[in-house]
Amino acid sequence: MKLKEDLSRFFSLLADEIYATGQYLRNRRGVLPGAVVQQLFVMGYKSFPIVALITFLVGITISLTSAAQLEMFGADIYLADLIGLAMIQELVPLMTGIMLAGKIGASITAEIATMKVMDEIDALRTMGVVPEKFLMAPRLIAITLVVPLLVAMADTVGVAGGVIVARVALGIPPGVFLREVFTVVTLGDFLTGILKTLVFGWAVVVGAGFKGFFIDRGAEGVGKATTESVVLAISLIIGLDCVFAFVLY
Amino acid sequence: MDHIRVVNLDVGYGDETVLRNLNFVIPPGMITVVVGESGSGKSTLLKALIGLNRPLAGQVFWGGERIDYDSEHSLAALYRRIGVLYQNSALLNSLTLYENIALPIRIHRHSTPRSDESARVHEVLGMVGLRGADGKYPFELSGGMRKRAALARAMVLEPEIVFCDEPSAGLDPLTASGLDELLRTLQGSHGMTFVAVTHELRSIGRIADRVLLLQGGGIRFDGDFKDVAGSGDEYLRSFFLLKDEAP
Repeated sequence: MKLKEDLSRFFSLLADEIYATGQYLRNRRGVLPGAVVQQLFVMGYKSFPIVALITFLVGITISLTSAAQLEMFGADIYLADLIGLAMIQELVPLMTGIMLAGKIGASITAEIATMKVMDEIDALRTMGVVPEKFLMAPRLIAITLVVPLLVAMADTVGVAGGVIVARVALGIPPGVFLREVFTVVTLGDFLTGILKTLVFGWAVVVGAGFKGFFIDRGAEGVGKATTESVVLAISLIIGLDCVFAFVLY
Repeated sequence: MDHIRVVNLDVGYGDETVLRNLNFVIPPGMITVVVGESGSGKSTLLKALIGLNRPLAGQVFWGGERIDYDSEHSLAALYRRIGVLYQNSALLNSLTLYENIALPIRIHRHSTPRSDESARVHEVLGMVGLRGADGKYPFELSGGMRKRAALARAMVLEPEIVFCDEPSAGLDPLTASGLDELLRTLQGSHGMTFVAVTHELRSIGRIADRVLLLQGGGIRFDGDFKDVAGSGDEYLRSFFLLKDEAP
Protein backbone atom coordinates (compact mmCIF):
# COMPACT_ATOMS: atom_id res chain seq x y z
CA MET A 1 0.00 0.00 0.00
CA LYS A 2 2.82 2.37 1.01
CA LEU A 3 4.79 1.42 -2.13
CA LYS A 4 1.76 2.09 -4.32
CA GLU A 5 1.24 5.48 -2.66
CA ASP A 6 4.95 6.34 -2.99
CA LEU A 7 5.00 5.36 -6.66
CA SER A 8 1.90 7.44 -7.32
CA ARG A 9 3.47 10.47 -5.56
CA PHE A 10 6.80 9.96 -7.35
CA PHE A 11 5.28 9.86 -10.81
CA SER A 12 2.87 12.72 -10.16
CA LEU A 13 5.79 14.85 -8.89
CA LEU A 14 7.83 13.81 -11.93
CA ALA A 15 4.98 14.89 -14.22
CA ASP A 16 4.62 18.20 -12.33
CA GLU A 17 8.35 18.87 -12.61
CA ILE A 18 8.50 18.12 -16.33
CA TYR A 19 5.44 20.29 -16.95
CA ALA A 20 6.80 23.11 -14.76
CA THR A 21 10.22 23.02 -16.44
CA GLY A 22 8.64 23.11 -19.90
CA GLN A 23 6.40 25.98 -18.83
CA TYR A 24 9.40 27.90 -17.46
CA LEU A 25 11.38 27.35 -20.68
CA ARG A 26 8.44 28.77 -22.64
CA ASN A 27 7.60 31.88 -20.58
CA ARG A 28 10.60 32.37 -18.23
CA ARG A 29 8.32 33.01 -15.25
CA GLY A 30 7.90 31.52 -11.80
CA VAL A 31 11.61 31.11 -11.10
CA LEU A 32 13.98 33.64 -9.56
CA PRO A 33 16.27 35.33 -12.10
CA GLY A 34 19.77 33.85 -11.82
CA ALA A 35 18.55 30.60 -10.21
CA VAL A 36 19.75 28.45 -13.14
CA VAL A 37 23.20 30.06 -13.12
CA GLN A 38 23.44 29.54 -9.38
CA GLN A 39 22.58 25.85 -9.80
CA LEU A 40 25.10 25.53 -12.64
CA PHE A 41 27.73 26.81 -10.23
CA VAL A 42 26.71 24.41 -7.45
CA MET A 43 26.24 21.34 -9.65
CA GLY A 44 29.04 21.97 -12.11
CA TYR A 45 31.90 24.01 -10.72
CA LYS A 46 31.61 22.59 -7.20
CA SER A 47 31.28 18.97 -8.40
CA PHE A 48 34.20 19.04 -10.85
CA PRO A 49 37.03 18.42 -8.33
CA ILE A 50 35.44 15.42 -6.58
CA VAL A 51 34.22 13.81 -9.83
CA ALA A 52 37.69 14.32 -11.36
CA LEU A 53 39.47 12.83 -8.36
CA ILE A 54 37.20 9.78 -8.13
CA THR A 55 37.28 8.94 -11.85
CA PHE A 56 41.06 9.44 -11.94
CA LEU A 57 41.50 7.02 -9.02
CA VAL A 58 39.09 4.51 -10.57
CA GLY A 59 41.04 4.77 -13.85
CA ILE A 60 44.30 4.01 -12.05
CA THR A 61 42.83 1.16 -9.98
CA ILE A 62 41.21 -0.60 -12.93
CA SER A 63 44.38 -0.15 -14.98
CA LEU A 64 46.63 -1.58 -12.26
CA THR A 65 44.45 -4.65 -11.63
CA SER A 66 44.02 -5.30 -15.37
CA ALA A 67 47.64 -4.62 -16.38
CA ALA A 68 48.98 -7.55 -14.33
CA GLN A 69 46.53 -9.97 -15.99
CA LEU A 70 47.04 -8.67 -19.53
CA GLU A 71 50.84 -8.71 -19.17
CA MET A 72 50.72 -12.46 -18.42
CA PHE A 73 49.23 -13.06 -21.88
CA GLY A 74 51.40 -10.47 -23.66
CA ALA A 75 48.29 -8.44 -24.37
CA ASP A 76 49.58 -5.21 -22.77
CA ILE A 77 48.22 -2.90 -25.46
CA TYR A 78 44.66 -4.11 -24.88
CA LEU A 79 44.77 -2.20 -21.60
CA ALA A 80 43.94 0.86 -23.75
CA ASP A 81 40.89 -0.89 -25.21
CA LEU A 82 39.74 -2.01 -21.79
CA ILE A 83 40.19 1.37 -20.12
CA GLY A 84 38.73 3.33 -23.04
CA LEU A 85 35.56 1.26 -23.28
CA ALA A 86 35.11 0.58 -19.56
CA MET A 87 35.57 4.19 -18.52
CA ILE A 88 33.59 5.86 -21.28
CA GLN A 89 30.70 3.41 -21.50
CA GLU A 90 30.32 2.29 -17.92
CA LEU A 91 32.51 3.56 -15.13
CA VAL A 92 32.37 7.31 -15.77
CA PRO A 93 28.53 7.38 -16.04
CA LEU A 94 28.19 5.16 -12.96
CA MET A 95 30.75 6.97 -10.79
CA THR A 96 29.54 10.42 -11.87
CA GLY A 97 25.96 9.42 -11.12
CA ILE A 98 26.89 8.12 -7.67
CA MET A 99 28.94 11.26 -6.95
CA LEU A 100 25.97 13.41 -7.98
CA ALA A 101 23.69 11.34 -5.72
CA GLY A 102 25.95 11.93 -2.72
CA LYS A 103 26.77 15.54 -3.38
CA ILE A 104 23.86 17.10 -5.28
CA GLY A 105 20.99 14.76 -4.37
CA ALA A 106 21.64 14.92 -0.64
CA SER A 107 21.87 18.72 -0.67
CA ILE A 108 18.66 19.10 -2.71
CA THR A 109 16.73 16.85 -0.31
CA ALA A 110 18.15 18.54 2.80
CA GLU A 111 17.29 21.98 1.44
CA ILE A 112 13.74 21.16 0.32
CA ALA A 113 12.97 19.05 3.41
CA THR A 114 14.14 21.89 5.69
CA MET A 115 12.01 24.34 3.72
CA LYS A 116 9.04 22.02 4.15
CA VAL A 117 9.57 21.70 7.91
CA MET A 118 9.93 25.48 8.26
CA ASP A 119 6.68 26.08 6.30
CA GLU A 120 8.63 27.76 3.47
CA ILE A 121 7.03 25.47 0.86
CA ASP A 122 3.56 26.41 2.15
CA ALA A 123 4.63 30.07 2.15
CA LEU A 124 5.71 29.81 -1.49
CA ARG A 125 2.38 28.22 -2.40
CA THR A 126 0.32 30.93 -0.67
CA MET A 127 2.41 33.57 -2.45
CA GLY A 128 1.18 32.02 -5.69
CA VAL A 129 4.55 30.41 -6.40
CA VAL A 130 4.55 26.82 -7.67
CA PRO A 131 7.27 25.19 -5.52
CA GLU A 132 7.81 22.35 -8.02
CA LYS A 133 8.68 24.96 -10.62
CA PHE A 134 10.45 27.48 -8.38
CA LEU A 135 12.76 24.87 -6.84
CA MET A 136 13.04 22.06 -9.37
CA ALA A 137 13.04 23.69 -12.83
CA PRO A 138 16.41 25.45 -12.32
CA ARG A 139 17.93 22.23 -11.00
CA LEU A 140 16.67 20.08 -13.87
CA ILE A 141 17.89 22.61 -16.43
CA ALA A 142 21.26 22.95 -14.68
CA ILE A 143 21.87 19.19 -14.44
CA THR A 144 21.05 18.85 -18.15
CA LEU A 145 23.62 21.49 -19.06
CA VAL A 146 26.28 20.35 -16.61
CA VAL A 147 26.33 16.60 -17.26
CA PRO A 148 27.92 16.67 -20.76
CA LEU A 149 30.75 18.84 -19.43
CA LEU A 150 31.24 16.67 -16.36
CA VAL A 151 31.29 13.50 -18.47
CA ALA A 152 33.79 14.94 -20.97
CA MET A 153 36.07 15.96 -18.12
CA ALA A 154 35.65 12.65 -16.28
CA ASP A 155 36.33 10.62 -19.45
CA THR A 156 39.54 12.55 -19.99
CA VAL A 157 40.72 12.20 -16.41
CA GLY A 158 39.76 8.51 -16.18
CA VAL A 159 41.64 7.64 -19.37
CA ALA A 160 44.56 9.74 -18.11
CA GLY A 161 44.76 7.38 -15.11
CA GLY A 162 45.11 4.50 -17.59
CA VAL A 163 47.77 6.40 -19.56
CA ILE A 164 49.89 6.85 -16.43
CA VAL A 165 49.64 3.17 -15.38
CA ALA A 166 50.34 1.99 -18.95
CA ARG A 167 53.48 4.17 -19.09
CA VAL A 168 54.79 3.34 -15.62
CA ALA A 169 53.82 -0.34 -15.26
CA LEU A 170 53.87 -1.59 -18.86
CA GLY A 171 56.13 0.94 -20.61
CA ILE A 172 53.48 1.81 -23.23
CA PRO A 173 54.05 5.37 -24.57
CA PRO A 174 51.06 7.71 -24.07
CA GLY A 175 50.75 8.36 -27.83
CA VAL A 176 50.40 4.64 -28.58
CA PHE A 177 47.93 4.16 -25.74
CA LEU A 178 45.72 7.05 -26.87
CA ARG A 179 45.85 5.97 -30.54
CA GLU A 180 44.55 2.55 -29.44
CA VAL A 181 41.82 4.17 -27.32
CA PHE A 182 40.63 6.26 -30.28
CA THR A 183 40.65 3.17 -32.48
CA VAL A 184 38.17 1.25 -30.29
CA VAL A 185 36.10 4.04 -28.80
CA THR A 186 33.59 5.62 -31.17
CA LEU A 187 31.67 8.88 -30.99
CA GLY A 188 28.59 6.73 -30.32
CA ASP A 189 30.23 5.29 -27.18
CA PHE A 190 30.99 8.81 -25.95
CA LEU A 191 27.43 10.01 -26.61
CA THR A 192 25.99 6.89 -24.97
CA GLY A 193 28.05 7.71 -21.87
CA ILE A 194 26.63 11.23 -21.84
CA LEU A 195 23.06 9.98 -22.32
CA LYS A 196 23.40 7.46 -19.50
CA THR A 197 24.84 10.06 -17.13
CA LEU A 198 22.13 12.51 -18.11
CA VAL A 199 19.43 9.98 -17.21
CA PHE A 200 21.24 9.20 -13.94
CA GLY A 201 21.46 12.94 -13.20
CA TRP A 202 17.73 13.42 -13.78
CA ALA A 203 17.03 10.40 -11.55
CA VAL A 204 19.17 11.96 -8.80
CA VAL A 205 17.42 15.35 -9.01
CA VAL A 206 13.88 13.97 -9.27
CA GLY A 207 14.50 11.38 -6.53
CA ALA A 208 15.99 14.05 -4.27
CA GLY A 209 13.02 16.36 -4.87
CA PHE A 210 10.62 13.49 -4.11
CA LYS A 211 12.29 12.75 -0.77
CA GLY A 212 12.39 16.46 0.08
CA PHE A 213 8.79 17.31 -0.79
CA PHE A 214 7.30 14.22 0.90
CA ILE A 215 9.28 14.30 4.13
CA ASP A 216 7.75 13.18 7.43
CA ARG A 217 7.38 16.30 9.53
CA GLY A 218 10.07 17.29 12.05
CA ALA A 219 13.79 17.97 12.08
CA GLU A 220 14.46 14.24 12.51
CA GLY A 221 12.71 13.70 9.21
CA VAL A 222 15.24 15.89 7.38
CA GLY A 223 18.16 13.57 8.21
CA LYS A 224 16.08 10.50 7.40
CA ALA A 225 14.93 11.95 4.07
CA THR A 226 18.49 12.93 3.13
CA THR A 227 19.82 9.43 3.76
CA GLU A 228 16.89 7.86 1.92
CA SER A 229 17.44 10.24 -0.97
CA VAL A 230 21.00 8.98 -1.51
CA VAL A 231 19.90 5.33 -1.22
CA LEU A 232 17.01 5.93 -3.64
CA ALA A 233 19.25 7.74 -6.15
CA ILE A 234 21.93 5.03 -6.12
CA SER A 235 19.27 2.32 -6.45
CA LEU A 236 17.69 4.17 -9.38
CA ILE A 237 21.12 4.59 -11.02
CA ILE A 238 22.01 0.90 -10.72
CA GLY A 239 18.54 -0.13 -11.93
CA LEU A 240 18.64 2.24 -14.89
CA ASP A 241 22.19 1.11 -15.71
CA CYS A 242 20.93 -2.44 -15.85
CA VAL A 243 18.14 -1.36 -18.23
CA PHE A 244 20.72 0.42 -20.42
CA ALA A 245 22.86 -2.74 -20.47
CA PHE A 246 19.90 -4.80 -21.71
CA VAL A 247 18.97 -2.24 -24.35
CA LEU A 248 22.44 -1.35 -25.62
CA TYR A 249 24.49 -4.57 -25.49
CA MET B 1 -20.08 43.37 2.91
CA ASP B 2 -18.37 40.38 4.55
CA HIS B 3 -14.91 39.56 3.30
CA ILE B 4 -15.28 35.84 3.75
CA ARG B 5 -18.44 33.81 4.30
CA VAL B 6 -18.09 30.17 5.24
CA VAL B 7 -21.09 27.92 4.63
CA ASN B 8 -21.48 24.36 6.01
CA LEU B 9 -17.74 23.80 5.86
CA ASP B 10 -16.13 20.47 6.87
CA VAL B 11 -12.35 20.40 7.16
CA GLY B 12 -9.87 17.66 8.01
CA TYR B 13 -7.17 15.43 6.60
CA GLY B 14 -7.83 12.49 4.31
CA ASP B 15 -10.88 10.66 5.65
CA GLU B 16 -10.69 12.29 9.07
CA THR B 17 -13.04 15.23 9.63
CA VAL B 18 -11.68 17.60 12.27
CA LEU B 19 -14.33 20.35 12.09
CA ARG B 20 -17.91 19.91 10.86
CA ASN B 21 -20.60 22.17 9.53
CA LEU B 22 -18.89 25.49 10.17
CA ASN B 23 -20.79 28.67 9.37
CA PHE B 24 -19.25 32.07 10.03
CA VAL B 25 -18.17 35.33 8.43
CA ILE B 26 -14.96 37.34 8.51
CA PRO B 27 -15.91 41.02 8.54
CA PRO B 28 -13.61 43.59 6.90
CA GLY B 29 -11.38 46.01 8.81
CA MET B 30 -11.31 43.91 11.98
CA ILE B 31 -9.03 41.44 13.69
CA THR B 32 -10.77 38.09 14.00
CA VAL B 33 -9.01 35.66 16.30
CA VAL B 34 -9.56 31.91 15.97
CA VAL B 35 -8.97 30.29 19.34
CA GLY B 36 -9.26 26.86 20.85
CA GLU B 37 -7.39 24.19 22.73
CA SER B 38 -4.47 22.36 21.14
CA GLY B 39 -5.85 19.93 18.57
CA SER B 40 -9.16 21.77 18.24
CA GLY B 41 -8.57 22.34 14.52
CA LYS B 42 -7.45 25.99 14.44
CA SER B 43 -4.54 25.41 12.06
CA THR B 44 -6.59 22.94 10.01
CA LEU B 45 -9.24 25.63 9.51
CA LEU B 46 -6.59 28.23 8.64
CA LYS B 47 -5.01 25.88 6.09
CA ALA B 48 -8.41 25.31 4.49
CA LEU B 49 -9.15 29.05 4.30
CA ILE B 50 -5.80 29.80 2.61
CA GLY B 51 -6.14 26.93 0.15
CA LEU B 52 -3.42 24.64 1.50
CA ASN B 53 -5.86 21.96 2.60
CA ARG B 54 -8.89 21.32 0.43
CA PRO B 55 -12.16 21.44 2.47
CA LEU B 56 -13.97 18.11 2.69
CA ALA B 57 -17.39 19.71 2.20
CA GLY B 58 -19.10 23.10 2.16
CA GLN B 59 -18.28 26.36 0.52
CA VAL B 60 -16.21 29.47 1.10
CA PHE B 61 -17.28 32.74 -0.50
CA TRP B 62 -15.03 35.72 -0.96
CA GLY B 63 -17.08 38.89 -1.47
CA GLY B 64 -19.89 36.76 -2.84
CA GLU B 65 -17.66 34.77 -5.18
CA ARG B 66 -17.17 31.08 -4.39
CA ILE B 67 -13.61 29.85 -4.07
CA ASP B 68 -13.08 26.71 -6.14
CA TYR B 69 -10.31 24.82 -4.37
CA ASP B 70 -9.95 22.47 -7.35
CA SER B 71 -9.26 25.27 -9.79
CA GLU B 72 -5.73 26.63 -10.23
CA HIS B 73 -7.18 29.92 -11.45
CA SER B 74 -9.43 30.32 -8.43
CA LEU B 75 -6.54 29.54 -6.07
CA ALA B 76 -4.20 31.90 -7.95
CA ALA B 77 -6.82 34.65 -7.57
CA LEU B 78 -7.12 33.82 -3.86
CA TYR B 79 -3.33 34.04 -3.41
CA ARG B 80 -3.28 37.50 -4.98
CA ARG B 81 -5.77 38.70 -2.35
CA ILE B 82 -4.25 37.27 0.82
CA GLY B 83 -1.02 37.51 2.78
CA VAL B 84 0.05 34.87 5.30
CA LEU B 85 2.26 35.24 8.35
CA TYR B 86 3.47 31.77 9.36
CA GLN B 87 4.33 30.60 12.85
CA ASN B 88 7.94 29.90 11.76
CA SER B 89 8.06 33.14 9.75
CA ALA B 90 8.86 30.94 6.71
CA LEU B 91 11.26 33.44 5.17
CA LEU B 92 13.52 31.89 2.55
CA ASN B 93 16.93 31.60 4.20
CA SER B 94 18.84 31.78 0.93
CA LEU B 95 17.43 35.24 0.13
CA THR B 96 18.02 38.60 1.78
CA LEU B 97 15.17 40.37 3.50
CA TYR B 98 14.76 42.62 0.46
CA GLU B 99 14.59 39.63 -1.91
CA ASN B 100 12.15 37.81 0.39
CA ILE B 101 9.79 40.77 0.49
CA ALA B 102 10.17 41.53 -3.22
CA LEU B 103 9.42 37.90 -4.18
CA PRO B 104 5.60 38.26 -4.31
CA ILE B 105 6.00 41.40 -6.47
CA ARG B 106 8.36 39.58 -8.85
CA ILE B 107 5.96 36.65 -9.12
CA HIS B 108 2.63 38.51 -9.43
CA ARG B 109 3.69 41.84 -10.92
CA HIS B 110 6.76 40.86 -12.92
CA SER B 111 6.62 43.99 -15.07
CA THR B 112 6.94 46.28 -12.03
CA PRO B 113 9.95 48.60 -12.53
CA ARG B 114 12.77 47.96 -10.07
CA SER B 115 12.45 51.50 -8.68
CA ASP B 116 8.76 50.92 -7.81
CA GLU B 117 9.58 47.51 -6.36
CA SER B 118 12.32 49.02 -4.21
CA ALA B 119 10.03 51.84 -3.03
CA ARG B 120 7.30 49.36 -2.00
CA VAL B 121 9.72 47.00 -0.24
CA HIS B 122 11.24 49.87 1.74
CA GLU B 123 7.78 51.21 2.53
CA VAL B 124 6.58 47.94 4.10
CA LEU B 125 9.91 47.49 5.87
CA GLY B 126 9.33 50.94 7.37
CA MET B 127 5.78 49.99 8.39
CA VAL B 128 7.05 47.04 10.44
CA GLY B 129 10.01 48.95 11.87
CA LEU B 130 12.76 47.21 9.91
CA ARG B 131 14.05 50.09 7.82
CA GLY B 132 17.72 49.52 7.00
CA ALA B 133 17.61 45.74 7.51
CA ASP B 134 16.90 44.96 3.85
CA GLY B 135 20.37 43.52 3.16
CA LYS B 136 20.30 41.07 6.04
CA TYR B 137 19.55 37.36 5.73
CA PRO B 138 16.76 35.82 7.87
CA PHE B 139 19.27 33.83 9.94
CA GLU B 140 20.91 37.11 10.99
CA LEU B 141 17.68 38.36 12.60
CA SER B 142 16.06 37.75 15.97
CA GLY B 143 12.75 35.83 16.19
CA GLY B 144 10.75 39.05 16.57
CA MET B 145 12.46 40.69 13.62
CA ARG B 146 11.83 37.62 11.47
CA LYS B 147 8.13 37.77 12.35
CA ARG B 148 8.04 41.48 11.42
CA ALA B 149 9.83 40.75 8.16
CA ALA B 150 7.37 37.95 7.39
CA LEU B 151 4.52 40.37 8.11
CA ALA B 152 6.10 42.86 5.70
CA ARG B 153 6.21 40.13 3.03
CA ALA B 154 2.58 39.23 3.74
CA MET B 155 1.56 42.88 3.25
CA VAL B 156 3.71 43.80 0.26
CA LEU B 157 0.97 43.21 -2.33
CA GLU B 158 -1.57 45.12 -0.22
CA PRO B 159 -3.73 42.04 0.40
CA GLU B 160 -7.36 42.28 1.44
CA ILE B 161 -6.76 39.94 4.38
CA VAL B 162 -3.63 38.92 6.26
CA PHE B 163 -3.83 35.49 7.93
CA CYS B 164 -1.55 35.00 10.93
CA ASP B 165 -0.71 31.56 12.34
CA GLU B 166 0.28 31.90 16.00
CA PRO B 167 1.82 35.37 15.49
CA SER B 168 3.31 35.66 18.98
CA ALA B 169 4.34 32.01 19.46
CA GLY B 170 7.96 31.53 20.44
CA LEU B 171 8.50 35.20 21.28
CA ASP B 172 9.34 36.68 24.67
CA PRO B 173 6.45 38.64 26.29
CA LEU B 174 7.85 42.06 25.34
CA THR B 175 8.49 41.15 21.70
CA ALA B 176 5.09 39.41 21.50
CA SER B 177 3.42 42.52 22.88
CA GLY B 178 5.29 44.66 20.32
CA LEU B 179 4.09 42.46 17.48
CA ASP B 180 0.50 42.59 18.75
CA GLU B 181 0.72 46.38 18.92
CA LEU B 182 2.02 46.41 15.36
CA LEU B 183 -0.98 44.35 14.16
CA ARG B 184 -3.30 46.73 16.02
CA THR B 185 -1.58 49.78 14.52
CA LEU B 186 -1.77 48.37 10.99
CA GLN B 187 -5.43 47.50 11.45
CA GLY B 188 -6.15 50.94 12.88
CA SER B 189 -4.15 53.11 10.50
CA HIS B 190 -4.62 51.14 7.27
CA GLY B 191 -8.00 49.51 7.99
CA MET B 192 -6.47 46.10 7.31
CA THR B 193 -8.33 42.85 7.97
CA PHE B 194 -6.51 40.20 9.97
CA VAL B 195 -7.42 36.62 10.84
CA ALA B 196 -5.14 35.32 13.57
CA VAL B 197 -4.94 31.81 14.97
CA THR B 198 -3.61 31.73 18.51
CA HIS B 199 -4.12 30.33 21.97
CA GLU B 200 -2.09 33.00 23.78
CA LEU B 201 -4.62 34.68 26.09
CA ARG B 202 -2.62 37.90 26.49
CA SER B 203 -2.28 38.20 22.76
CA ILE B 204 -6.00 37.59 22.24
CA GLY B 205 -6.79 40.32 24.76
CA ARG B 206 -4.55 42.78 22.95
CA ILE B 207 -5.62 42.22 19.38
CA ALA B 208 -9.07 40.60 19.11
CA ASP B 209 -12.10 42.46 17.80
CA ARG B 210 -13.95 39.23 17.17
CA VAL B 211 -13.42 35.74 18.52
CA LEU B 212 -14.17 32.37 16.97
CA LEU B 213 -13.77 29.66 19.62
CA LEU B 214 -13.45 26.10 18.31
CA GLN B 215 -14.38 23.16 20.50
CA GLY B 216 -15.53 19.58 19.98
CA GLY B 217 -15.33 19.69 16.20
CA GLY B 218 -17.39 22.85 15.81
CA ILE B 219 -17.75 26.51 16.75
CA ARG B 220 -18.46 27.11 20.43
CA PHE B 221 -18.54 30.91 20.30
CA ASP B 222 -18.60 33.40 17.44
CA GLY B 223 -18.89 37.03 18.40
CA ASP B 224 -17.29 40.24 19.56
CA PHE B 225 -14.47 39.88 22.03
CA LYS B 226 -16.14 42.37 24.35
CA ASP B 227 -19.09 39.97 24.68
CA VAL B 228 -16.91 37.17 26.04
CA ALA B 229 -16.82 38.61 29.56
CA GLY B 230 -20.61 38.75 29.69
CA SER B 231 -21.17 35.21 28.47
CA GLY B 232 -22.66 32.59 30.72
CA ASP B 233 -21.06 29.72 28.83
CA GLU B 234 -18.95 27.83 31.36
CA TYR B 235 -16.53 26.47 28.78
CA LEU B 236 -16.00 29.92 27.27
CA ARG B 237 -15.45 31.45 30.69
CA SER B 238 -13.02 28.75 31.74
CA PHE B 239 -11.12 29.02 28.44
CA PHE B 240 -10.63 32.73 29.00
CA LEU B 241 -9.93 32.20 32.74
CA LEU B 242 -13.05 34.15 33.75
CA LYS B 243 -14.24 31.64 36.38
CA ASP B 244 -14.35 34.09 39.27
CA GLU B 245 -16.49 36.69 37.60
CA ALA B 246 -19.93 35.21 37.02
CA PRO B 247 -22.08 37.50 34.83
